Amino acid sequence: MDWTALWLSLRLAAWTVIFLLPVAVFAGRFLAYRKFRGKGVAEALVMLPLVLPPTVFGFYLLLAFGADSPLGQFWTATFGQPLVFSFQGLLLASIIFNLPFAIQPTQRGFEAVPIDVREAAACCGMSPWRSLWQVELPLAWPGLLTAMVLTFAHTLGEFGIVLMVGGSIPGETKTIAIAIYDRVQGFDDQGAATMSAVLVAISLFTITVTYWLSARVGRRLS
Amino acid sequence: MRRSLEETRADQRFLRGLGRRTQSSTCTNAWTNTWNLMICFVKAFRDLLMNLPLCRIAFVAAVLSGLLAASPLTMARSDAPVLAVASVLQFAVVEIAEAFKAETGMEVRLSFGSTGNFTRQIRQGAPFELFIAADEQFIAGLHADGFTLDAGALYAVGRVVIMVPHGSDLTPDSHLDQLAQMLAEGRLERFAIANPDHAPYGMRAREALIRKGIWEDLLPAMVFGENVAQAAQFTLSGNADGGIIAYSLALAPEVSPRGTFALIPESWHEPLRQRMALLPDAGKVAKAFYAYMQEASAREIMTRYGFDLPAGH
Amino acid sequence: MALEVMVRTRATIPLDLAFRVEPGELLALVGHSGSGKTTVLRTIAGLWRPALARVQVNGSTWLDTAAGVEQPTHRRRVGVVFQNYALFPHLTAAQNVASAIDHLRGPRRRIEAERLLELVSLQGLGQRKPAQLSGGEQQRVAVARALARRPEALLLDEPFSAVDRKTRDKLYAEIIALRAHLAMPAVLVTHDMNEAQLLADRMVVIDAGRMVAEGSTGAVMSNPDALRAMGIREAAAMLPAIIDRHEPDGMTRLTTSAGNLWLPTVDAAPGARLRVRIMAHEVMLARARPEGLSAQNILPARIIDLQPGDGPAVLIRLALGEDEILARVTHRAVASLNLQAGDEIHAVLKSMSIARDHVTAG
Repeated sequence: MDWTALWLSLRLAAWTVIFLLPVAVFAGRFLAYRKFRGKGVAEALVMLPLVLPPTVFGFYLLLAFGADSPLGQFWTATFGQPLVFSFQGLLLASIIFNLPFAIQPTQRGFEAVPIDVREAAACCGMSPWRSLWQVELPLAWPGLLTAMVLTFAHTLGEFGIVLMVGGSIPGETKTIAIAIYDRVQGFDDQGAATMSAVLVAISLFTITVTYWLSARVGRRLS
Repeated sequence: MRRSLEETRADQRFLRGLGRRTQSSTCTNAWTNTWNLMICFVKAFRDLLMNLPLCRIAFVAAVLSGLLAASPLTMARSDAPVLAVASVLQFAVVEIAEAFKAETGMEVRLSFGSTGNFTRQIRQGAPFELFIAADEQFIAGLHADGFTLDAGALYAVGRVVIMVPHGSDLTPDSHLDQLAQMLAEGRLERFAIANPDHAPYGMRAREALIRKGIWEDLLPAMVFGENVAQAAQFTLSGNADGGIIAYSLALAPEVSPRGTFALIPESWHEPLRQRMALLPDAGKVAKAFYAYMQEASAREIMTRYGFDLPAGH
Repeated sequence: MALEVMVRTRATIPLDLAFRVEPGELLALVGHSGSGKTTVLRTIAGLWRPALARVQVNGSTWLDTAAGVEQPTHRRRVGVVFQNYALFPHLTAAQNVASAIDHLRGPRRRIEAERLLELVSLQGLGQRKPAQLSGGEQQRVAVARALARRPEALLLDEPFSAVDRKTRDKLYAEIIALRAHLAMPAVLVTHDMNEAQLLADRMVVIDAGRMVAEGSTGAVMSNPDALRAMGIREAAAMLPAIIDRHEPDGMTRLTTSAGNLWLPTVDAAPGARLRVRIMAHEVMLARARPEGLSAQNILPARIIDLQPGDGPAVLIRLALGEDEILARVTHRAVASLNLQAGDEIHAVLKSMSIARDHVTAG
């Protein structure tokens, strides 16, 4: 049982959720409320990581912040280590490829807020910011919650991109999914089975508890 | 807000499964904004914690380990250099690293994969300090482009074997006659080798099969492992009739009980001259390991794993 | 404190109109669906920006497309009652109202919210969520919330279209009572002439984005262009009356400036001031006072003027005592009776033809 890898995966999933939470709220809200030319294109771009094979995506990510890229060089110059094959690089990749999981359900959540309620909020003197906190989020939160749960669970299990961009460095980028892969290659079926079971248990537990909590909150509020 | 009997029963049913009974509690009735919503969640979570000691323990454990992750204890560990090791050395280098630690007290972190993949990653700035490849050419290429400290050292010469899992219709023989016959009779379903595009052992496997004259015919049944260790996994998992893998893997205690193998003549392929090289960021631990690889105890381990050794120190 | 509106646009729904509403006045924007009346309301609220428009309230400019001035909705002190109430479903009634009170904090805000709920007769229901309130109650919460904003203009977008008739009557009474408390200009959008006539001081009739008629309710109701746009059958007048007494046989006697009016029992106390809506096509005319008729209401009247319409009808304005009503009769009738301006005649009204909801508080 590779606890380091498990802890790494949990940290990666947690940080991804933390970073994507505000992104999901603002992007989801923007896409839900605005109609503009090219909106279809914007939505398709958001969905892109879902349809691209992880390896293709990983390849493009490497190009985008590998050692030869401007971003990669800037990072190395600033922090002394490369962006790829580091936890931060992995986190960046994770944030990007989880965008559809975070934004889509949130967008649906905001779309479910009736438009006349939003207009009423403005007519009551609420600035867009106040309206967001006092009216929209309290109504759209199930979508946001779904988004965060999906993001968390998906990150725990992501493999292809982590392999391409991470390099499987123990303690830095060797997530539990990769550790399981290694165990299989190393003919350690026992180890692989144990870790897989733990991963499934954690994912199930997280999802179940989250939905149970949200049902409780929903009941209390109605 | 009064909770209905329904709700209480539903909660109890859920929690009974976890071994505890819930108590009802109330969230202050009115809520006006997201802040209160979050407070409601926190309260619900707190209820959960208070009612399930198991959860409480798990929560405390999680918080502690979170703190631990940032403590000096783990920081020291993360100073251990990362070595990129060709997957053919999956078992051999683990043993060597353990011996290294026993003898010197220094630790290394090992990352296994295909030589080709590592080469690409090193070119992209992967933070490895030592690259133990399964081939010379890849090292030479990196050296020529300035990615290594020096030209490196030849540390072993490898061999390939044909291996079959127990219960396979194929029997392994050095000259691959059985394989050719089974192929000709159309009884061969799947055969595994490492990917010849970027894995040295896959390239050698292909050369041997071309030498035997059955490469083209074998292609439709071919399964490629991402590296030679995965090829071994495919070979012995019962999903293939057999495969060509590394001698060192076939000898490993985790692998050998699973099947039988036969050495393929060296003359059938280019030699697997395995070279390793320190990378520019190499620190003293990596350099110590590099030296250790060429010394007696490491060499002895390598011999046990079927490697031929170049003239030693 | 007046509200001045000018809108001109060709996009989506073509609009071309301008009007002014004085403080304390209720202006009704009347028109069929698609005539653009709701668009005008949304322009005032800031929920829509036409190509060319100007909205000025109390001297300050909320919108002036030509000058590039546009205040976002939340900065305009506007109170809006939406057609479907648009209450915040996750808040109680009191919280809904409180959310619009931005000039007070803490307990004072709660007290003010309670006061407003009392104003709309919802005291004690403040802790209920919208889902637990009836349509009429939700409507009143919406009104309270609009007023909570201390608006400089009050806008009502077909606020009674979603409630049943009985509730609507009650709400009309509430609104009329509330008028006394309203110091700001108010605009009511409706497709119901009856409603407009009952509640509003002045009316603007919109047809396909253009103003067809504008003026006091009485004047517009007798304006042939307005009637053509809204449908001739809508022609009616409001007759003020005071309840005299209730008779045991199910009739109520009211006094008007022209004499007594008998109606089926009116639900109000003797002495109450009312307005009765009399549809023009329900008024019969007679030269001599008719005898032996079933109609109980025969009142002396004088013809003010006659307006021939396009069809077979003529719209006649009658002076009934100090008040005015309308009558619609055929050309043939006018010709055969030789009716002319100034003639003294009798107006005949059937008690039963006056609908219950056409009697409202004055």
